[in-house]
This record gives sequence, C-alpha cells and structure tokens, in this order.
Amino acid sequence: MRITQRSLAVTSLQGLNRNMDAIAKLQAQLTSGKTINKPSDDPTGTNAAMQTRQELAGALQYSRNITDGIGLLDAADSALQNMVKQVQNVRALTVKGLNDGALSLASREAIATEISGIRGSLLGLANTAVQGRPIFGGVTSGPTAYDATTGAYTGFGGGGGAPVVPITRQVSDADAIRVDITGPEAFGDPTAGDLFALVGVIATDVVADPAALVGHLERLDIALNRMLTAAADIGTRTNRIETAQQVNKDLQLSLTSRSASIENVDLAKTIMNLQMQQTGYEAALGVTAKALQPTLLDFLR
Amino acid sequence: MSTFSGLNTATTALWAQQRGLDVTGQNIANVNTAGYSRQRAELQSVGGNAVPAIYAKSNQVGQGVDADKVIRIRDTFLEGRAQLESAETARMTAKENVLAQIEQAFREPGETGISAKLTAVFTAWGDVANKPTEDGGRTAVLQKTATLVAELHTTSSNLDKQWDQTRDSLDVLATGVNAKAQSIADLNTAIKRATQSGLPANELADKRDVLVMDLAVSIGATVTPGNDGQVNVVVAGAQIVSGGSTVRIKVEGTRVPGEAAVGNPAFVTDPGGTRLAVGGTAGGALTALTDTIPGYQAQLDAVAVGLATEVNAAHTAGYDKNGAAGEPVFRDGTGPGPVDLTKVTAANITLRITDPAKLAAASTPPIPPVAGPPAVAAKPSADGGNAAVFAAMAKSGNGVATVYRQLIVNLGVEASVATSNLQTQTVVAAQVDASRESVSGVSIDEEMTNMLQFQHAYSAAARMITAIDETLDVLINRTGRVGL
Repeated sequence: MRITQRSLAVTSLQGLNRNMDAIAKLQAQLTSGKTINKPSDDPTGTNAAMQTRQELAGALQYSRNITDGIGLLDAADSALQNMVKQVQNVRALTVKGLNDGALSLASREAIATEISGIRGSLLGLANTAVQGRPIFGGVTSGPTAYDATTGAYTGFGGGGGAPVVPITRQVSDADAIRVDITGPEAFGDPTAGDLFALVGVIATDVVADPAALVGHLERLDIALNRMLTAAADIGTRTNRIETAQQVNKDLQLSLTSRSASIENVDLAKTIMNLQMQQTGYEAALGVTAKALQPTLLDFLR
Repeated sequence: MSTFSGLNTATTALWAQQRGLDVTGQNIANVNTAGYSRQRAELQSVGGNAVPAIYAKSNQVGQGVDADKVIRIRDTFLEGRAQLESAETARMTAKENVLAQIEQAFREPGETGISAKLTAVFTAWGDVANKPTEDGGRTAVLQKTATLVAELHTTSSNLDKQWDQTRDSLDVLATGVNAKAQSIADLNTAIKRATQSGLPANELADKRDVLVMDLAVSIGATVTPGNDGQVNVVVAGAQIVSGGSTVRIKVEGTRVPGEAAVGNPAFVTDPGGTRLAVGGTAGGALTALTDTIPGYQAQLDAVAVGLATEVNAAHTAGYDKNGAAGEPVFRDGTGPGPVDLTKVTAANITLRITDPAKLAAASTPPIPPVAGPPAVAAKPSADGGNAAVFAAMAKSGNGVATVYRQLIVNLGVEASVATSNLQTQTVVAAQVDASRESVSGVSIDEEMTNMLQFQHAYSAAARMITAIDETLDVLINRTGRVGL
C-alpha cells in the first residue's frame, strides 16, 4: 500500500479521536459518578436500575406504612390494657355489691356512682384517637367510636351484623397486616349489649336489683375475656409488624447497595482505566509528532 | 539524417523534463487540497519515421520524447465504494443522532424522568392509604399527578420539536442538493468542452468529484460515467444529473408530526413527482421522521393511555371522602364531555379532578342513611383500601410502570445497536478512504524523488546540447582548416 503524508495524518487523527472519545466517556462517568448516563450506555443495566429504584421507592413506602401501623397498634394496645384494669375494678365493685348483703343504701349508691364514673372513663378510652381518627371506630370518618353519654356505637362496621372493614397496612409486596380492632370486636356487639351497656346496667342494678348482679358478673367475665383476647390479638400483630420492619430495613439496605452496584462508578476501576487511556493517548501523540515530521525534504541539500 | 536532429531530440527532452517539474510543482502545491488527485506527466518516446520514402529511409533513431498528456491518478472502483460507504456512514450517523436526542428527551434513568414521577404518584397514594381522611396527602396526590401529566406533555412536545427540526433540515438539505447538482452539471459542460478541444480538465474533474461525494453523503447518490469525461449522478435509479442537465428534487408530504407515516414525507423529483428511496443523511433523517420518532411517540401515547385506563378504572371503583362514587381522574384533551380513553395521548392527557376530597381512597360504600327511628345519617367509609390499590400499581407486572420501562429498554437497545453499527461502519469507511488516499494522494517523498529525477534528466539533456554544440563547433569551425 502506498502511504502518503495525508493518509498518515488522517489515520493518526482518527486514532487520536478514538482515544479522546474513550477518555471523554470515562471522564463523564467519573464526574457524574454514574456508569449509566443514558439508556444506550447499558440497556440491561437501565432496566435493572429503573426496577431497583421503583422497588426502593416501594420499600420506603412500606417502611412508612409500618411505622404508621405500629403507632396505631401501640395506641390500641395501651388503651386496651388500661380498660382491662378498669373493668377489673368494676368486677371487684360488683362482687362487693353482690356479696355484702348488709350494705347500706348509701354504700350501694356510692358503688353505683363509682361504676358510672368508671363507665365514663371506659368510654373515653374507647374513643382514643390517633391523628383525629378513633382507633376502635373501624373506618369511620367521624371523630368518635362511641357516643360519650349514651355509649351507642358510632363507628363504621362490626356492629349490628354489619361486616368489619379492616384497616390494613401493606408491609411488603405480599403481606398486609391489619392494624386496628373495631369496638364491637373488642367490647361486644352493641345490639346484643356490649361492655358499656353491661357496666351501665350494673351501675343501675347495684341499687335497684342486687339479685341480678350474679348474671351480670358472668357476662362481665365474658366481656373481660373478650378484651384480653383482643389485647393478645393486637400483641401478636405488633410482633408480626415488628418482624416486617426488620425485614424491610434489610430489604432497603440490599436494594440501596444493588442500585449502587448497577449505577455507581467503580472508582478504582474507572480511574485505572482512565490512567491507561491517558498513557495510550500520550503515546499516540508522541508517535504522531515523530511520524508526521520528517520528509525527504529534510535530507535534500 | 538531419545534422541538427540530435539538437531537436535534446530540446524535446528539456521541454518534457520541465513539464515533469511543472506537474511536480502542482502536486506539491496541492498536497493538502481536499479532493485533489495527484497528476503525472505521461512521457512517451517519439519514434523515427516508420514509413519509408522512395529515395530515403529512416535512420532508426527516435525523435525524442513527448509530454503532451497530464493524467490524474485515481481508482474509479475505489471512488465508487467510497461514495457508497460515505452514504452509509452518513445515514447511520443521522440515525444515531436522532436516537441520542430521543434519549435526551426521556432523561432516563434518573430522578427527573417520567419513571420517577410515576413512582411519586403511586407513593403519594400510599400515604393517602395510611391517612385517608387528611387533605394534605390527597393534595399531594393531585400535585404529583399534575406533575406527571406535565412531564408527559413535555416529553411528547420534545419529540414533536425534534420532528419539526428534522423536517425543516430536510428542506434545507434538498435545496443544497439541487444547488450542488446544478454545479455538477455546469462542471460537466465545462469538462466536455475542454475534453473535446483537447485541453486538460483534471482540476475541473477533481472539483466535480468532491461535489459528487457531497451528494453521496447527503442523499446517497452514485455516479455512472458519461461521454467526454462527464458523469451522470443517480439517486435510487433516478438520474438527477445527466450530462449538463439536472432534475430537481424536493421534500413532499406532511409538516405535522402526528400525520407522519411510512412514505410521508418523502423525497420526490420536481417536476415528475417520482418518489426516491434516498440514502445518506437524508435517508437517515427520513427514517427518523417516518418511523423512529412516530414510533416512540406512539409508545409514549400508549403509556398515557395505560395510565388513564388503569387509574380511571381503579378510581371509579372507589368512593371519595364524602362517600360519592369515584369519578374518572384523567380525560383526553377534547373537552369536558364523557372520557374517551381511545383519544388519550401523551400530549392531551388532562387531570380532571381538582378537589382533593374527590379522590376515591375508600373501597367500601358508605352506610346508607336510615329514615329511622332512630334516624341515622349516611356515613362515608374512611378506609384507604382503594388508595392502597393505587399504591400497588407501582409494582403490577403489566402495569403502566412496566410498559414505560419497556419503552426505555427498547430505546436503549436501539440506540446502543445504532452506536455500535456506526462504529463498525466508520472503520469500514475509514479503510476505504485510506485506500483511496493511497492511490490518489500526494506523497511528498515521491514528489521529491520525481523532482530529483527530472532535475537530473534536465541537466543531462542540457549537457547533451553542449556536447552536440561542441561537435558542431568542430565540424563548422575546424573543418577545412588543416595546415592553416
């Protein structure tokens, strides 16, 4: 092949351009910190990167769901524990009113007043609200679960044969955990006479019909049992959601590191490549300078 | 034999070597001229008289050297290949540029593209699922959705703008092609005249060949040789230059991105209207106009339709904050009438709902009012079940997020294939260029060697004249003077 000065120059320029191109690409990766700056840099990587970002956003959402759910469950748990204590007080007072036939009317009235007071406090606890929403009210949009004076159920679902609409929190792709318990589930169906109606009746009957207290006591035990079951249920779910929280934290970590390994620059590798490219570029420059210089002219007198 | 024929022979030698030096000078002067083919003086020995006369015969010694012809050295086959490869390189470059611009329009993967905004909408719904009664979360959903809609509009209009620019550039390209075709025709005429009158036309031919190469790059033109050194320029079977006459070309067809289809717009001859399957830059740009950009616009529209269909269907299945059934969230841009999902595009998708309370977060119908006694008012459900359905859409296997991701992956694959194809093609074209250059390029070393050769030959011819002069001196001045 006949080689001319011009073809030498053109070939050299092409080689130099290729070198510069490679250096520019590495430079772009180093300055942006990303190996994928546009989809064509790595189509498969782009897919994985987009998927991972989406999954990470989902995991963060689950983490918010979990925190929110734990708040609701904790509130329900502490309200139930307090109420159990108070109901146990009611039970003690009822037993007192039942056993002591020698009680004076004044004493009975005192017991009745105390039980009525406890009923009010029970209703107050049953209306415990988290961020404006009553935790025992199901999915009600109203501010209370029970009417504070009549004790009627004002929540949504569970009472009077209406189905319970559970409030759930999605904690992972596959798992949703219920984070509430409706009043009727914890305190009995209002149409058949729930805890608050029962305590109200006891307060009346302590004075009016002490003989009926035996039956009431049995029903109170059933109500107490129901509340303890509900508290245990809440406890189990708290355990589940806390496990889910741990799993979620691990998932976030692994997704973050996966995202980094797909998109982020491997500094050591990239800098090394850049060094190699630069060495190559300098060599090409040196060779070009030497090869293009001499012609026969330099040697003719 | 003539007494002075030796002098004449030496004179032709002097003249021929001078001519050789002239050509060398021209070559060196044009060592860096683009499109210049090196020239060579064709030296030919002049024979003696080959036809015997009646009373005389030739003395069998030649009559010197003839250097009448100066030829340019080039390989027609290599030129033809160079035209083809340059056209292909130009076409691929145009295609790669278009795809690179589309990639910029989508800005993926990143925090600013449609993907991130889509995720933000579904995440906002997730927050509403947690707190369905709060207006803050609901407003966030509306705002994120509005941002997503704006992003769809922007991306769609970016694609349209790119289409418009490419369309305009084709008109400019057609004008340039017509001007160059006219120049080629003019040069053809000049070359024909020069050839017919035996004048050198090398420089004119070089100039014309540069223009032909330009046309090859612009529209994938090829040439066929004509009479008297002329060439005919052919684009996809149609002669746009034949000798000294030209046929103009123009771009015909739509100027509206939405109406683009295969074959519309297209290059046609003017007059005639014959459709031309052009190559080169024009071919690449035309593919972008009729296939690539409309293709991605259609895929983006499909994303918008998918979004509207999915979200509207899920939304109408739920109940809003006041217990009313959910209304469609998106509508097409045609007006407030019933929502026609088939008319939705990325450019006209619009958010219908402006009141945060109208977002249907609940999946349970409200408790119907009871006339009583006791009278119970209607009670809307405050569950976030439907909002949770939206939140789950981010993950659904065949949902809008997946459709969009597929679009981006397709784009990435197509662009990366285009880039690697172009790289291969560039190497091929560079090799052809190098072979072409190696045939017709000027080598300074070679010219210097030639210069030395001609110099020495000139000196030798001059010495020859001196020798003959001395011989004649002896003959003329010394003859007959013996003994004087």
